Amino acid sequence: MSLHIVVCVKQVPVSNNLKIDPVTKNVMRSSEPGIMNPFDQNAIEAALKMKERYGAKVTLLSMGPKNFEITLRQGLAMGADDAILLSSRAFGGADTLATGYVLSQAIKALGDVHLVFFGRQSIDADTGQVGPIVAEFLNWPQITYISQIYPVDNKSIEAVRLMENMEQSIKVTLPAVFTVRSELNEPRYATPRNIMLSYQKDIQVWDEKKLDVDPNRIGIKGSPTVVRKVWTPKKIVKKSESLGEDPDSAARKLLQILRARNII
Amino acid sequence: MSVVLKEHQQMLHQMVVDFARKEIKPLDMQIDKQQAYPKELWHKIIETGFLGLIVPNEFGGANFDAIAEAQTIFDIACNNASVAFTLEGHYKTVDQVKKYAKDSLKEKYLPQANKRIFGFGSTEPQGGSNIMGHSASAIKEGDYWILNGNKTMITNGGLAEVYLVLLKTAPEELTCFLVDKDMPGFKFGKQEDFFGMRGTPVGEIFLENVKVTDEYMIGKIGQGAEIGDQAHYDARINMGAIAAGICQHALDVVLDYAKQRKAIDKPIIELFSIQNKITEIAIAKENSQLLYEEAAKLKNEGKPYAKVATMAKSYGSRAAFSACDHALQVLGGYGYSKEYPIEHLLRDARALQIAEGSLEKMVIEIAKEVQKEVV
Repeated sequence: MSLHIVVCVKQVPVSNNLKIDPVTKNVMRSSEPGIMNPFDQNAIEAALKMKERYGAKVTLLSMGPKNFEITLRQGLAMGADDAILLSSRAFGGADTLATGYVLSQAIKALGDVHLVFFGRQSIDADTGQVGPIVAEFLNWPQITYISQIYPVDNKSIEAVRLMENMEQSIKVTLPAVFTVRSELNEPRYATPRNIMLSYQKDIQVWDEKKLDVDPNRIGIKGSPTVVRKVWTPKKIVKKSESLGEDPDSAARKLLQILRARNII
Repeated sequence: MSVVLKEHQQMLHQMVVDFARKEIKPLDMQIDKQQAYPKELWHKIIETGFLGLIVPNEFGGANFDAIAEAQTIFDIACNNASVAFTLEGHYKTVDQVKKYAKDSLKEKYLPQANKRIFGFGSTEPQGGSNIMGHSASAIKEGDYWILNGNKTMITNGGLAEVYLVLLKTAPEELTCFLVDKDMPGFKFGKQEDFFGMRGTPVGEIFLENVKVTDEYMIGKIGQGAEIGDQAHYDARINMGAIAAGICQHALDVVLDYAKQRKAIDKPIIELFSIQNKITEIAIAKENSQLLYEEAAKLKNEGKPYAKVATMAKSYGSRAAFSACDHALQVLGGYGYSKEYPIEHLLRDARALQIAEGSLEKMVIEIAKEVQKEVV
């Protein structure tokens, strides 16, 4: 089995430099050098582990200005094979929907993709939406918030989805989209040799002319999101109690609690 | 920093800083106490590709230049000088294989330099820097050279698997050979028990009728003294980087301590006497860095760098020792205690005045170079 894995990566501002545009309420992406979104390193690591185990080609995909190339080179230095930057003025001002649309069109253009990895979310906008949006555009199954991946056959993948209070084990058929948590793995260091070689590789730059895109669905035009206000919500900590694993005993305990509170 | 790193050098620098902080810094005190590297650490260093930093691309290495090499040594030395010292010993030896070895030997050994540690054997029990006083020899018998003698005080001796050795091929003639620990007649001797740089193994090797062909001769017959000097000059750039790294390490510890430690209800960092010492340490670091970076820049540009490299080691080694002494004074009893890293930094810094040519030898060499420049 030889897989083609795409890893979508994003360059984000260094977290202590994060600035919000007072008018648009969007994250300001200045020309200052950023860093690779840390969760995307886990996504690259997941792809590289599969490459080592099953044989795969790993292509990095990013959308952004030309200075995002450095982030792609960092991914190449970790061991990815190729990198494509989706860059054009026409893509500028995209929200998660327009970004997901362009990324999915690029994945379609690549043609032979079996898996697409994303980090669980970016640390600047924090939405976690782009991975699922890409899956929907592609009409592929998706597993989000992955903390564990089971051995892969050439038709399907089973993975553990780690949520706040639960784990779900889900099996999907390929091709599919995955977003990964930092619990999945420890990203490897870029090696000096791969750093040097990453600067000898060409990064392909694709614009809207290269992709089959609807001009009304890209950039600001294709972005229905309006940010009205940005604030830090108060964290509401809800009290929870585990009633044990035995269903009969848990049901009895639940009945007692509901009766004690006069709910039933 | 006087040099502006190129984008790929900057990426390397960030990776090394990240690696050193996560993987080396937590082991700093342990390495000194146990006089050894934890095996897992060295495995990670090799797997991450640090040994191949200056090995050419075609032999599986990264092919970084002298500036990136010195920056890497500095970044590591900021966290543990011994690890940096071991890499310095490896790089200076690999550098001579790159410059002087026959193509067939390069093809055989440079790929191995990505995974196996190299060391340079020059000193003998009877003579240190006076290489013409050596007795280890290479005698030609038919198609082979028969190598005999012992080399001591080798940086990485015992840890390294491949060595360059300077051997007498005639009474006033030194020639350099490559030997491998797996060759019949190669034996390891004792390990030194030094009081500083305790992580870096320094040891002895014995050659007892080791048989090699001409292929294993590095450079030409009689070129050994030149190769030995070259190895010293290359090493001294990195010795300057280690010195600056030790200064930075001391500065980090001192700043952290002086901000927290209070005297009469205010942090001691607000006291002039403490600020004075912090300033001295900072100047020591900055000056040491300027010198080794200048030497690395000259080397990259293909210009003569021996003088500035020697200055980097001479000045840096004294500045680092003095900086650690200031740092010890700031920490007082804690500085003198093994509870804090300053006392081992002081011991580590002392090694820099001896290794890769004594301070006294530096004086002779720099004075000679300076006199040449007088019109």
